[in-house]
Amino acid sequence: MNTPIIQAHGLTKRFGDFTAVDALDLSVERGSIFAFLGANGSGKSTTIRMLIGLLRPTAGTIEVDGVDVIRRPRRVRDHIGYMGQKVSLYQGLSLRENVEFYAGLYGLTGEELERRWTALRERFDLGAFEKERSEDLSAGVRQRAGLAVATLHRPRLLFLDEPTAGVDVHNRARFWEIIQEEAEAGVTVFVTTHFLEEADYCDWVSFIDRGRLIANAPPEELRSRFSQGYRIDIDVTAEERPRVLQRLDGAIPAPELTATGLRVRLPKLEPEFLGRLEQAAKEAPGARIAIEQPAMTDVFRRVLASVASQDPRGAP
Amino acid sequence: MSRWRTFVSNVAAIAYKEAAIIRHDKAFLSMVLIQPWMMLLIASYVLSNKPADVPWAVLDQSHTALSRRLVQSVQATGYFLRPQTETSYESARERLREGKALVVLVIPQSLARDAERGEPRVQLLLDGSDPLSAARIGGYVSQVASSFQLRISAPVALDPDRPIRSAGPIDIRQRFWFNPTLADREFFLAALAGMLLTNLCLSGTSLGLVGERESGTYEQMLALPIRPIEIVLGKLVPFVGISYVLMLFAIVVPGLCFGIWPHGSWLALFWTTLPFVLASLAIGVLVSTLVETSAQAVFITVFFALPSFVLSGVMMPYQFMPHGVREVGAVLPLRWYQIACRRIIERGGGIIETAGPTLAMFAIFAVLLALIRWRMKPRLG
Amino acid sequence: MNRRRLWTLVRREIQATFRDPFTVTILVSVPIGALLLFGFILATDVKHLALGLYDGSRSAASRRLAADLAANKTFDITAYPSSDAIGDALGSGAISVGVVIPADFDDDTRRSRPGAEPPRIQVLYDGGEAALAGNAEAFVNSLLQASAPALGDQARDPRRSVVPGAERGGGGIGVVARAVFNPGLEGTPFMVAGTFGFVLSFLTTLITAVSIVNEKLAGTFEQLQVTPATSIEILLGKLLPLGAVFAFDVALMVVIAGLVLRVWPEGSALLFVGVSAYYVLISLALGLIFSATSATAAEAVQKTVLFSIPLVQLSGFLFPVRNMPTVVQWLANLLPATHYIKISRAIYLRAEGLGSMMPDLLFLFVCGVGLIYYARRVIEARA
Repeated sequence: MNTPIIQAHGLTKRFGDFTAVDALDLSVERGSIFAFLGANGSGKSTTIRMLIGLLRPTAGTIEVDGVDVIRRPRRVRDHIGYMGQKVSLYQGLSLRENVEFYAGLYGLTGEELERRWTALRERFDLGAFEKERSEDLSAGVRQRAGLAVATLHRPRLLFLDEPTAGVDVHNRARFWEIIQEEAEAGVTVFVTTHFLEEADYCDWVSFIDRGRLIANAPPEELRSRFSQGYRIDIDVTAEERPRVLQRLDGAIPAPELTATGLRVRLPKLEPEFLGRLEQAAKEAPGARIAIEQPAMTDVFRRVLASVASQDPRGAP
Repeated sequence: MSRWRTFVSNVAAIAYKEAAIIRHDKAFLSMVLIQPWMMLLIASYVLSNKPADVPWAVLDQSHTALSRRLVQSVQATGYFLRPQTETSYESARERLREGKALVVLVIPQSLARDAERGEPRVQLLLDGSDPLSAARIGGYVSQVASSFQLRISAPVALDPDRPIRSAGPIDIRQRFWFNPTLADREFFLAALAGMLLTNLCLSGTSLGLVGERESGTYEQMLALPIRPIEIVLGKLVPFVGISYVLMLFAIVVPGLCFGIWPHGSWLALFWTTLPFVLASLAIGVLVSTLVETSAQAVFITVFFALPSFVLSGVMMPYQFMPHGVREVGAVLPLRWYQIACRRIIERGGGIIETAGPTLAMFAIFAVLLALIRWRMKPRLG
Repeated sequence: MNRRRLWTLVRREIQATFRDPFTVTILVSVPIGALLLFGFILATDVKHLALGLYDGSRSAASRRLAADLAANKTFDITAYPSSDAIGDALGSGAISVGVVIPADFDDDTRRSRPGAEPPRIQVLYDGGEAALAGNAEAFVNSLLQASAPALGDQARDPRRSVVPGAERGGGGIGVVARAVFNPGLEGTPFMVAGTFGFVLSFLTTLITAVSIVNEKLAGTFEQLQVTPATSIEILLGKLLPLGAVFAFDVALMVVIAGLVLRVWPEGSALLFVGVSAYYVLISLALGLIFSATSATAAEAVQKTVLFSIPLVQLSGFLFPVRNMPTVVQWLANLLPATHYIKISRAIYLRAEGLGSMMPDLLFLFVCGVGLIYYARRVIEARA
C-alpha cells in the first residue's frame, strides 16, 4: 500500500479566541520517521493529540491507517503506541507492574508477554530498574521505559510527544537509535520535538509556528533551500592547492582562497562532488578536510524569516 | 533595632506577595465569597430542632366530642400535619414502623367516663428513632393534653409556662428536651463566625505552604535571607485581614437580616477574634509541615475541622459531653472562641468577661508557634 | 466489554490504593473516627451536667428533691454552702446550672394544693449558653412541678409513696407516653445510622476526586484513553475496587458500632450493606464528575468540601428535613444522601420493610444510573 498512513487536511483547533492549530495539512508515509518541529507552545502537542483522537478538532479531517479518527477514535487504538509529554507510569507501581498493566490492556499476557518484555528490557537497558517504583526512576530511565511501554504491543504507528525532553545527550542518542531501528522494521514514527537538530534523524520534517505549518520537506531539502549551505574547509599547503582545485573544478562554484587552504560553499553535497573530494584527498595526503553542516536552528530561523516576509501577521 | 526593622519589612514583603497570589486564585476567592452566604443560610433556615410538618396518627377508640376536640387541639398547635386515622393497635405500630407517623395518639374508649371520674388518660406511641424529635413532639402533645379544658368547647392555646404532666420511662428525657423557648437560630448564628473562620484559616494556610513546597517556590524562598518564621508570619497576614472581613460578615448580616445584634462590646469581639485567627492559622501551618502533598494537607484540615466543630461545642453544648471528651475540646481554639462569642453576643459581655477565653487562645497560639518553629527548619532535608 | 481488560484495571487500582499508606489510613480511621465522634460524643444523650445545689431548707422534702435531681446521672451534683457560692461557681464555669432551695421550702409544700403556687425554687444558669440554659431550666422546672404535688401529698400522709404514675391534675388529661422504637430514647442509634450517610457521602467523593485529578496530572489518564480500554471499563475499573473497599468499610462500621457503641441494626444487616454499597457507587461517580472539572487535587478537594457541607446539613444527618422550610425540603430531597440516610435509619432503627422504603430505594437507583451514565460521558469526553 502506498497511501500515506496518516493524512490530515485543514486541521484546526481553536480554544475560545485562541487558535492553537491553523489549517494544517499533513501526510506521513508508511515506515517513515516524521518530525514535527516547533517552539514551545507552537501547537505540536495539540496536533498530536488530535491525531490520536484525544482532542476533537474544530475543523478538518484526519485519517490514520484508514480510520476516520474524528468519528471513530477508538478504532485505531490497537495499532498505535503513544508516549505523552509526561511519561505515564503509575506511581506506587514498579516498572514491571506498569508493564504488566499496559500489556494486559492490549491483551498481551503470559508467555508472550514474557518474551516480548525480556527482549524490550534488553534493548532498552531497563533490567536494573524493573523492580523500582516508577517515581524513583531518573528522567533518562523514565523516558526509555515510556518508549518501551509504547512499543510493547508492536504497534504499527508510534506517536511520541517530545520523547527526549529533559534527557541527557547520551540517552538522547540512544533513543534515536531505537527509533530508527523501529522505522527500519516498518513502524511509522511520528515525533514532536523542540530540539531542532533531531530533525536529521528523520525522513521528513515539518516546522510549525504559532499553529501554522511553515515548512514540510525532508531535512536535506530544507537545508538546501534555507541556508548558506555546507561549508567545506580544505586545509592544504600552498603547493598542493592548485592540484586540489583542479580536481574539484567543475563540481563547485568559485572557491574562496583562505590562509590555510580553500573554502567551498555548497547548497547540497552531491555524490559527484564527494567523489572528487575523496580523490583529491587521496592525492594530497597532508590535507585536512572539515565539512560543516548548516545548523537546523539556522535553517529554522531562515524559514521563519521567509514566512514572516510573506505573512501579514508580521515577524515572530 | 535594625533587626526588628528587617523582620517587619520581610514579613511585609511576603504578606504583599501572598495577597497578590490570593487575588488571582479564583478557586479560593469563590470559596471565600460563596461559603459565608451558604453557611449563613444554612444556620438561619436549615438547622432547626423545632418540629414542623409532623406526620401523626390518631387511634380514636372513644369517638366522642371530647376526643375529637382533643385531636383538634393538638392540630391547632400548628406543628402537625393532618392526622391519619388508625383503626387498630397493630396498624398504628405499622404506621410508626414505616415512618409514616412519628406519634400516634391512642384515645381509649373510656375517655368520657374517665373524665367524669376525674382521671382522664390517653396514650402516646412515639417513634423513638430520633429521640430529640420524639421528646419534643411528645412534649407538645402532652402539654396540649394537660392544659386541655374538659368543659370548654374551644381548644386552648399552647401555654409555654404551663408545666408538662406526663409519666412513663421517657419522662426524664422528654422533660429535658422539651424547651419551647429554644432559640435555635440564635444558637447557631452565634457560632457562625467561628465556623467560617475555622474553614478559612485551616484550608488557606495548609494549602499555601504545601503548595509552595510542591511547586518549588519554597526552596526559592529558603535561599533568600529571610528566616522561616518571617515567611510563616508573612503568609498569615493577608488571612488575618480576610478573617476580620468574614467576622464582620458573620456579625453584621444576621443583624441586618434577623435583628440579631451582639448585646455586648464590639471591641471585645474584635479583640478576641485576633488570637483565634492566629491560632487557627497556626494549626493550618503546622499541618502543612507534617504532610507531603497538598491533597493530604486539605484532607487533614477537612477531617480536623469537622471534629473540631463537634468537640468545641458549636453544634451542641460541650457541657453535655462526657468528661474526658470535654477536656479534649479545651485544646481547640474554637471552643474558647465560641464561648467568648456567646458571652458577648447573648449575654452582653465585654473585655473582662472574655479575658479567660482570649488568654487561652493566646496560649494555644504560643504553643503552636513553638511547634511550628521546631518543625520548620531552615533547610529542606 | 472485555473481562481481562477490566480485571487489569481493577487490579492496578487495588495495588495503587493499598500501597499508599496515607490513603489506607484515611480509609480506616475516618469511618471509625466519625462513628465515635457522632455516635459517642454528639449523640444527644445528656449526662453529667455539672449542677450546684444549695439546700437552704434541709427538710425531708428538699432532700427528696435533691435525690430526684441526682436520680439518673443526668446531673453531677455538688453541694454549695450558700447561693453566693453558687453564683461564683457559675461564673467560673465550675457548674453549668445552679439550684437554690429556699429555707422555707418545706412550709411551702405543706401548704400546697393542686393549682396553687408551686414551691419557689431558684434555677440559675450561665446565660451565655442559651441552649443549655433553656434545657436545664425546663428540666428542673418540670421536675419540680412533677414532684411538688407528690411532695404535697407526702407532707400530708408520709406513708403514701410517691408513684411516678399519672398525675392527678385539676383539669387536663393525663398522658402515658411510650416510645415504640428506641424506648430509652437513646441518642446513639440515631447518630450511628446517620454517620454511615455522612462518611459514605463525604469520604468517597473526596477520595475519588483526588485520585482522578492526580492521574490527570500525571498523564496516566490520558494514556488510558489511548489504550483499547473502553470508557465503561475505565469507569468500572475505578468504581468496583473502591466500591469494594468502602463496602468493607461499611461492614467494619456496622461491627464497630455494634461492639463499641452497642448499636446493632434492627433490620437486615445484609440489606443495609447492600444498599450502602450501591450508595457508595453513587458517591464515587459524583467524585469522578467533580474531578473532571478540577485542575489540581487541592481544587477537587475544595469543590467537594464546598458541596459536601450543605449536603451534610441538608440531608437530615443532624437536623430533621421535616423541620426545614418547604423550599429547602425540596432541595434536600433532590440529594441522594437524604434518601440514603432515611433508608439507613429505617433499617437500623425500625426494621422497616422493603415495601415502604421503595420510593427512596427507587430514587437512589435512578440517581445511580443517571450519575454513572454521566460519569461515563465525562470519561469519554474529548476536549
